[in-house]
Amino acid sequence: MKLNLDAESSPQATRPKKKHGRKNSHLKPSKSHAEKQNSDELHLEQEAPTADEAPLQQHLDSASLSDSKEDVSDEFKDLKLSKARESGSADEQDHVNTGSPDNLDQENEDDNPIRDQVDEESDSSEDEVAPRNTIGDVPLEWYRDEKHIGYDISGKKILKKEREDKLQSFLASADDSKSWRKLYDEYNDEVIELSKEEVKQLRRLLKGKAPHADFDPYAPYVDWFKWDDAKHPLSNAPEPKRRFIRSKWEAKKVVQLVRAIRNGHIKFDKPKEEQRFYHLWGDDSSSTEKTAHLSYIPAPKPKFPGHDESYNPSLEYIPTQEEINSYQLMYDEDRPKFIPRRFTSMRSVPAYDNALKDAFERCLDLYLCPRVRKKRINIDPESLKPKLPSRKDLRPYPTTCYLEFRGHKDAVMSISTEANGQWIASGSLDGTVRIWEVETGRCLKVWELGEAVKYVAWNPLPELPILAAAVGVDVLLLNTGFGDGEVQAKVKELLHIDALPATDNSDKTPIATWLQDDKVEGIRLRHFKTVSSVEWHRKGDYLSTVMPAGESRGVVIHQLSRKLTQKIPFKLHGLPVSSIFHPTRSIFFVSTKKNVRVYDLLKQKLMKKLETGLREVSSIAVHPAGDNVIVGSREGKVCWFDMDLSSQPYKILSCHPKDVTNVAFHRSYPLFASCSDDCTAYVFHGMVYSDLTQNPLIRPLEILRGHKATNGRGVMDCKFHPRQPWLFTAGADSVIKLYCH
Amino acid sequence: MVNKVTRKKHYRPPGQKKEGNAARYVTRSQAVKQLQVSLPVFRKLCIFKGVFPREPKKKVKGNHHTYYHLKDVAFLHHEPLLEKFRDIRAYEKKISKADAKKNKERANFLKEHRPTYVLDRIIRERYPKFIDALRDLDDCLSMVHLFAALPAQERLKVEAKRIHNCRRLSHEWQAFISRTHKLRKVFISVKGIYYQAEVEGQKITWLTPHSLHQALTDDVDLTVILNFMEFYETLLAFVNFHVYHSINLKYPPILDPHLEALAADLYALSRYFDANTRSSLLDSQTSSSSGYGQVDAEENSELRLAQLQQQLSLNEPTALMHLVEDAAAKNEDEDEDEDTRECKKLFKNMKFFLSREVPRESLLFVIPAFGGMVSWEGDGAPFTESDKTITHQIVDRPTQTHKFLTREYVQPQWVFDCVNTRLILPTEDYLVGRVPPPHLSPFVDNEAEGYVPDYAETLNRLKAAAKSEVLPLPGVGKEDLDDPQKLLAEGIIDRAEAIEAAEKKQKMMALEKQYHDELKLELQGVQYSSATSNVDKQSSNQENEGGEDADLPDPEQIAEDNANLPLVVMSRNKKKLYEAMQIGKRRKKGEIDLLKERKRKHKESQKSQ
Repeated sequence: MKLNLDAESSPQATRPKKKHGRKNSHLKPSKSHAEKQNSDELHLEQEAPTADEAPLQQHLDSASLSDSKEDVSDEFKDLKLSKARESGSADEQDHVNTGSPDNLDQENEDDNPIRDQVDEESDSSEDEVAPRNTIGDVPLEWYRDEKHIGYDISGKKILKKEREDKLQSFLASADDSKSWRKLYDEYNDEVIELSKEEVKQLRRLLKGKAPHADFDPYAPYVDWFKWDDAKHPLSNAPEPKRRFIRSKWEAKKVVQLVRAIRNGHIKFDKPKEEQRFYHLWGDDSSSTEKTAHLSYIPAPKPKFPGHDESYNPSLEYIPTQEEINSYQLMYDEDRPKFIPRRFTSMRSVPAYDNALKDAFERCLDLYLCPRVRKKRINIDPESLKPKLPSRKDLRPYPTTCYLEFRGHKDAVMSISTEANGQWIASGSLDGTVRIWEVETGRCLKVWELGEAVKYVAWNPLPELPILAAAVGVDVLLLNTGFGDGEVQAKVKELLHIDALPATDNSDKTPIATWLQDDKVEGIRLRHFKTVSSVEWHRKGDYLSTVMPAGESRGVVIHQLSRKLTQKIPFKLHGLPVSSIFHPTRSIFFVSTKKNVRVYDLLKQKLMKKLETGLREVSSIAVHPAGDNVIVGSREGKVCWFDMDLSSQPYKILSCHPKDVTNVAFHRSYPLFASCSDDCTAYVFHGMVYSDLTQNPLIRPLEILRGHKATNGRGVMDCKFHPRQPWLFTAGADSVIKLYCH
Repeated sequence: MVNKVTRKKHYRPPGQKKEGNAARYVTRSQAVKQLQVSLPVFRKLCIFKGVFPREPKKKVKGNHHTYYHLKDVAFLHHEPLLEKFRDIRAYEKKISKADAKKNKERANFLKEHRPTYVLDRIIRERYPKFIDALRDLDDCLSMVHLFAALPAQERLKVEAKRIHNCRRLSHEWQAFISRTHKLRKVFISVKGIYYQAEVEGQKITWLTPHSLHQALTDDVDLTVILNFMEFYETLLAFVNFHVYHSINLKYPPILDPHLEALAADLYALSRYFDANTRSSLLDSQTSSSSGYGQVDAEENSELRLAQLQQQLSLNEPTALMHLVEDAAAKNEDEDEDEDTRECKKLFKNMKFFLSREVPRESLLFVIPAFGGMVSWEGDGAPFTESDKTITHQIVDRPTQTHKFLTREYVQPQWVFDCVNTRLILPTEDYLVGRVPPPHLSPFVDNEAEGYVPDYAETLNRLKAAAKSEVLPLPGVGKEDLDDPQKLLAEGIIDRAEAIEAAEKKQKMMALEKQYHDELKLELQGVQYSSATSNVDKQSSNQENEGGEDADLPDPEQIAEDNANLPLVVMSRNKKKLYEAMQIGKRRKKGEIDLLKERKRKHKESQKSQ
């Protein structure tokens, strides 16, 4: 009280001072209701002269302070304010909690011993103290525009205090060093200052400790009742009778059980029965019933051990250390599972480490591996080979090299036999065309053409000994000079061009121009692209040339007698590789890289398309009867087409590991041959039957070797002798060989 | 109107039944689901019932699944054991519940009264005839013998009871085989000892580990093995029962506890055999008309056994054994085949004594199987080391200090080699302290394999010699065609001779060929030079020479060409098959070449030393 008096004694007291005083006044009522009345009255008396505007309000103020503060604190909690205000709200909350602490009491103790007494009495009733403001839990903004903030307990209005403007309050707070422990209670419209002890308590609470420093949370437990020396039981009632007599129902049950045991319905601890074994299979005759389910596939038996698994194998079964080391480099599945070891006596054999593991793997195999019955082919591999007719029966055919024709300086690209079989011509990369006598191997004639000769072809008529040679972009028609005067005259007339044919007016470059070549005494047919092959028609008047780069004009046909050139009236599909005339009819074969097309020259239309299925066709030959065609390919395969049968190959012979360079039919014998870059030539027996129901018989007869590989090329060309079963082969090693029977 | 619906690969319209492989095969997880069991139970059932996955032609669910046939699954589904397993599972739950409630009394009671199941019906179902069981006995015997050597570990559920049972079963089986002389081949390998017996025409091969304790390794799933063991033990017990009854013996045999304690089970069993055959001979009518109860008979037999034991210990056991065997032999002789008779006679009139360090169990099994008598160092042995009638003592130590002159001291391998060759081999190579000759596998057909080890040839020669020596003795008149041994012997001689002759012939051929080749060379050289001289005189001689080599038709080349020519016209599939076969041939040849190469090197190194 004294404090209060002191504080309020000076009328010019600053606001905070006033607040402080009021705060104390608030604390006092929080202690006891009775005392509150007292103090408030006193307060009123003191303040009456200064706070003239609302003495009543002040009175009410202090009365309801503590309760209202609680409400405010609740509100603050809900709002979750910013940090600055949060601390404030926390302060307030704690302030509420400090309702009972003794510190404050002690503070007041010396002031008023009488009140102190009252204080202690009313300590528990602190919560029931009515707040100064009695509006209850209503939004404060309802009173915003009113002059009062609410009503006191007696229903009188509590008037609002006059407001300081912001600037003033700020300045005041800046001046006041204690402003940080002041907060404004909106509900009761007053500013509260926290004491030091309250702040301390708040700090402790913030740390999560009990608010009082003296409080011991872990105080030893003291039981509220002593059991040890209790003399008497809790209940003094005597034991009931039912504890001493047996239950009727239980007695009945026992009798039941006893009877059951006596009668043998209940048996105790039967001796455990060992499994009894008996004659399971009895006499086998009765067990003939067939199992209904699926067939049982017995598991394959484990492999029997070999010599190498012996504890003492022969020395040769033990791998050397290098071999054992080399096992480490192998793949897991190739690596031997078991490495033989040798022990010189039985006592030194150790226990096998993997015994259990092996057994386990066997178990896994038995129940986890799918079982399938598989047919094991146990045949002699030789029996897979087809039964071929004996080679002896198919004689004659070329078997051994009989002659060699040497003289060329470079790879012989092409050879051609004369119609009678007396001469052969050869063209080579060294730029020469030579004519050889077959019987002796003598070189009869040489033309130096200056450029690599790609192809040579004799005129098929014996009375027209003309040789065509493909040299670069030219095709030279050479007079070989054979034959008597009459023949020579005819040839010379044929190979003479009277005058230059009138040049066409067309802008296009002509496919070929006919020129007289005086140097070699023949005709030079100049093409617009490099010529790769030349083929004569059977009548000797026409010849076809192939220019692989010539696109739509890649295959042309020349007429010798009229010195005419025409391109074939068919569309080419793909790059032309070679062309050939049918041996008896006016049919023309053109092979592109993939397919062979057969054209009828008279009707001028496509007859057939032979689908080879090969990657790249290299050569083609027609059977002398005209119904069968063989096609050689760069992947080393030879396809036999039976044109009456189908447009698919009748048989594919994959005989060469390298490119097939050429294929050839014999004119009269049932022979055909293929030659390849692997330096071999195969001779086949290819019998075609006149009976259409019988398929051609094909049987390989001989592999002819002898040529040597030069620049990766082997045998470049092969041709049969027109009469004899002889084969000429031209090699890249500049040798021509003759194989005879 | 045609609905053009893009179909999935295995599309099946709703409401339409599955067809083909999709309907016939299910994956394992599907099967487990269908049977409503857990995977371990399914596995156990599969093991017991002998159900295995099958390979459908088209794997509808993918390549990495295992497929079971629906019929197999249905077969499992109808198995009464399945219900039994479910009961057991429920029962185990009761136990765990009692345990969890700390109801010890109930838990113990439940644990003691666990439901059990028997497998005899399943065995009967899997093997409708005894011969079927014999056919599948290989794995069973190997496993039982392996378990007999395993250490018991309760932690891994390898119970001592089971191990003992396995030991007992394996000994019973061995005793039967040994007694009836059905053992044919023995092979000591690093992995253990392989035995092959012939029972009712079935060749049964099994592996026993070396008589040392095997270690239990961690890398195996013992539950799987134990499932198999459960089945195998029952199977072998029934098989043993059958075979014991086939020779008029009671099963299970009652053994002398004294001998059993000495771990001489096999010998005890053989004694049991002897005793029973004798008694059955003596009082055959009483035993046949025995109307006693089961217990009485057992007591009787035990009594009798005890009496016999007395007699045996008093009398000289060997004599009795002989007596019994002779008596038994009379009625057995009729139904014995040639092989058995031969095996029975191999060690006849020979007495073996085993030193401490030799593998006793194996030899106790093998020697009596081939008609020999055997004893060992230790208690309960039928005769002691000092017995004068012992012909062979088997030792496996570097030196033998005290030697009886009347007997031969050989290494154990001698016995096994004798058994495999069916011949009493000379003992020089096998004497104490020597490195014995290589031990060869009797399961290998050397000629089919293409490589004959040296020692196999020596053995063959010995065999041939023995036959030619022995056979003329019984009398020339007896040499008939019906004697297959004779024929075999002749065959062997012929074979040996033929091999030699063939070698000679080959050498001759090679020489001849060389000569011819040389001739040919000369001829062609001449012909060639003459031809070329005509053609081109300028070409130098050297060039000729060079050309000659390349031009000569190499005979090997020609042969190869001839062999390869038909390949050209073969179809692609056949060609591939042919090439695959060639690869296999080449590999085999490579192995043999490797062996020969090693042998050559060894010889060279020996010579250099």
